[in-house]
Amino acid sequence: MDDSAVVTAFLGGEERAFSELVERYQTRLLNFIYRTIGDREKAEDLVQEVFIRVYRHLHRFDRSKKFSTWAYTIASNLAKNELRNRSRNPLVLMQTVQKNWQDDDRPLQFEDTTSRPDDMYRKRHLREIVEESVAKLPEHHRHVFVLRELEGKSYEEIAEITDCNLGTVKSRLNRARNSFAEIVAPYME
Amino acid sequence: MDCREFQENHFAFIDDTLSGIELVGMQRHIAECESCAKHDTTVRRSLMLFRNLPRIEPSAEFSERLNSRLRELRESDTSSVFHHSGKFAAAVAIASVVILGYIGSSLRDVDTPRDIVFPPVVANVPESELVPLLAPGPALVASAAAGLPIWTAALYAERQPLHFATADLQIASSH
Repeated sequence: MDDSAVVTAFLGGEERAFSELVERYQTRLLNFIYRTIGDREKAEDLVQEVFIRVYRHLHRFDRSKKFSTWAYTIASNLAKNELRNRSRNPLVLMQTVQKNWQDDDRPLQFEDTTSRPDDMYRKRHLREIVEESVAKLPEHHRHVFVLRELEGKSYEEIAEITDCNLGTVKSRLNRARNSFAEIVAPYME
Repeated sequence: MDCREFQENHFAFIDDTLSGIELVGMQRHIAECESCAKHDTTVRRSLMLFRNLPRIEPSAEFSERLNSRLRELRESDTSSVFHHSGKFAAAVAIASVVILGYIGSSLRDVDTPRDIVFPPVVANVPESELVPLLAPGPALVASAAAGLPIWTAALYAERQPLHFATADLQIASSH
């Protein structure tokens, strides 16, 4: 059952269809927002907000378009607003940085525990380098970069989600890739 | 193909969206240019690292929190529908009462038309003060010639009550 059929079912009064949409998109949207704003807890809050907005406004959604593009557009706008608010409020930025430091002290959850300790350390270090390198990209480059590299969106979809023309998307993606490679390169050798 | 052209098309080269001829051109350039070949390798490796970052999963409370918020949303929507419909009904009732009241009072006015009330004309000038007038006052002459009803003439006359009363007396006494 594709997204369009699930949306139709929900609009036809099938409440359970909404849970299906949540199930399909919660992890994808969470990762997209998390990689864009760098704060896991806030990313969860924003994903909740995405679903609340989808629930409220689904009847107004143009069904000739892809549901996923619409959902990502809402997520993208919320992530942009969050970054804008942070840049205006240094206290929030500081709290986020502190939270991330605390996160660093937590035990690793996503690594293979059968690996040797030095391998685990190297992997962890590299993962941190990669995450930091993404965070160093300018906001509008990072946005396009995450949508393409993590979510596998087409250029056209990215253009629609970010409300940019195709040329801008390609140019930003090219720059983002080059900048990211430059930052990461010394740690790969 | 030069290095500049290679750089411009590199993102499409990585995404494998180039046409056959362009693709061959890019591959040939890599084989000839060590710097561009190195750049290509670095970008591809860095992207591989990024794509392999572990995915995070929603927390255990995520679904519960979302369901709770959705429930609240449904309830508030339902109550607001009732709330708004109640307000609307009250507004319609008040408007109806006002309109009916207005119509009722208008109909009553039609049934019982008001009489036109003029101020009383009082001509009680003492006889000793009467001044003889040889000709009738201009108001009386004008009203008679124009065929105006008598009350209009009376209105004109009200401005000069003394002349009107005197003229009557004068005319009566001359006959």
